[in-house]
Amino acid sequence: MPFSEAVRLAVASLRANKLRSFLTVLGILIGVSSVIAVVAIINGLDRYIADRVLELGTKSFSVQKLPDIITSASQWIEMQKRKDVTLQDLEAVRRGCSLCSEVGAMVATTRDAKFGRTVQRDVRVMGVTENYSRIGSVRDLIAGRHLIHDDVANARNVVVIGADLMDAFFGMTEPLGRALSVDSREYKVVGVAERKGSVFGESQDNFVWMPITLYRKYYGSRRSITIQAEARSMDTFQEAQDQARVIMRVRRHLEYVDADDFNIETGESVLEFWKSATQGIYAATLLVTAISLVVGGVVVMNIMLVSVTERTSEIGVRKALGAKRQDIRRQFVVESVILSIFGGGLGVLGATLFAKGLGAVLGNIMSADFVAPVRLWAVLLALAVSSLVGLVAGLYPANRAAALDPIAALRQE
Amino acid sequence: MSAEPALQTSAVIRAEDLWRTYVMGSEEIHALRGVSFEIQPNEYVAIMGPSGSGKSTLMNLIGCLDTPSRGRYFLRGREVSSMNDDELAEIRNREIGFVFQTFNLLPRASALQNVELPLVYAGISREARIAQAKKALELVDLAPRMTHRPNELSGGQRQRVAIARALVMGPSILLADEPTGNLDTVTGSEIMGLFGKLHGGGNTIILVTHERDVAEHAHRIIHIRDGTIESDERR
Repeated sequence: MPFSEAVRLAVASLRANKLRSFLTVLGILIGVSSVIAVVAIINGLDRYIADRVLELGTKSFSVQKLPDIITSASQWIEMQKRKDVTLQDLEAVRRGCSLCSEVGAMVATTRDAKFGRTVQRDVRVMGVTENYSRIGSVRDLIAGRHLIHDDVANARNVVVIGADLMDAFFGMTEPLGRALSVDSREYKVVGVAERKGSVFGESQDNFVWMPITLYRKYYGSRRSITIQAEARSMDTFQEAQDQARVIMRVRRHLEYVDADDFNIETGESVLEFWKSATQGIYAATLLVTAISLVVGGVVVMNIMLVSVTERTSEIGVRKALGAKRQDIRRQFVVESVILSIFGGGLGVLGATLFAKGLGAVLGNIMSADFVAPVRLWAVLLALAVSSLVGLVAGLYPANRAAALDPIAALRQE
Repeated sequence: MSAEPALQTSAVIRAEDLWRTYVMGSEEIHALRGVSFEIQPNEYVAIMGPSGSGKSTLMNLIGCLDTPSRGRYFLRGREVSSMNDDELAEIRNREIGFVFQTFNLLPRASALQNVELPLVYAGISREARIAQAKKALELVDLAPRMTHRPNELSGGQRQRVAIARALVMGPSILLADEPTGNLDTVTGSEIMGLFGKLHGGGNTIILVTHERDVAEHAHRIIHIRDGTIESDERR
């Protein structure tokens, strides 16, 4: 029996039993659609995160006591034993890092801010050096002035506020010169920063900047600060980090063999963490998909066995009319493959719709364009894998059918 | 499979001392015990016998669905008894036209598609298949119904489709197993009339039946009982 005939027969058989065919390939459908959807969504997130990281600046780095990402409780305990990063460290790096164009620092906590009777919750209260706004993701002002060196030197009670506080406290009224309070202490507003929007649902505009010296006066000088530095150029980005690293190691009298007892973090580390996280997600998804496909294959095989039994007399007739074993085998293998491709195709369709829908929802949440692309190679791979599953699943039933004795088969009703 | 006949003979079928033995556990059951006969082209033969006589076993051998345990079977001079599965399938496809008691049509295919089936396995192209199948359906006066499915046809019509299917490859013999068994008397007569017409057209017809009135349509009746030929009467 030529392939075209076998395909025609398989399609007719599939259409005659649409519900049964659908239920049969559900396992394959789920396996295929989950892997395609996950790949699409992760691809979309990759892009989203890369864009956000880009905004953080591509040649800034920070020197801090703790790493950005801590992956175990024991690691966290270890980290607590480290020395704080101090203002003296900041001075040393400032003096010593010739490849850095700017070196500043930041220390922060989260507090509620008040203006009159209005309360703004969970404001990021940041003590910063005057060059902080120029390092990394540059933030301009929409009103007033930045903090200046004098503010820091004299620990003045002045703050620059983020756009969320502007909206909450001042709305249309003039914010400059007004006083807001944090923890019952008053601060004069000298500047309003531009809006940046939100990242992963977190607003980037809910903060106040005060001079770092003032912060330490009120919140204690026992906190580790984060040194933020900007390299002069992309080319010397790594060298600038190395300079800072050497300065810190010398200050802490570390031997050559000792590990750093501080962390230098860049936007890269976020990307790297994301990459390793997604590796984990990919691996888990592949495992789930593999299991679904195996289960799906077993289901297809079972249904094909049932089909062979149901059509025993039909097989007998075909053999009587001249079908060779090869013909019968081909008929059932093709049917199994077509069935599985049908499941794979539905899986692709389902995944595409799901990815589009999820993209729209996530785009809303994260107020950004979110696209989860379903790539052609993923679709082709899905269909190829489905065919393979169908092929393997169908071989045993097809061989059983081919081996039927025509005389015995004809005797069945 | 060689193209040259192993036997120089005019006979369509030559059976030499056919035995068919089944082993059931420790017992041997001989369904056929040394059956020999010849059938010439354009003969109209009925094989008659009660159930258990071995007539079904003999039919399976004649139809190349099975091979004998002992003895030799020649179809158009070629020794079938020594052929393998694939070769037997080809012989069945080309030389044997089966007609079954229960029609055995594919329920989801049209009459035309049913008749096309042997042509599909012969590897014939789509256009040629459709043309040949139509001709076969015309021969049994069923051309106007060729797009109908079996469940849209009466019993007699279904059997006629089956007969068209049996004829479509121009086989050496038409082998009919109780062809009227599932039909009422009137329709049964119609079908027997069709067989008569086909015999007149030059076909070799072999009926297998246990009914006397069906067998009497044939010009030769081979009686079989307990695995051997009891009598071979020409009429």
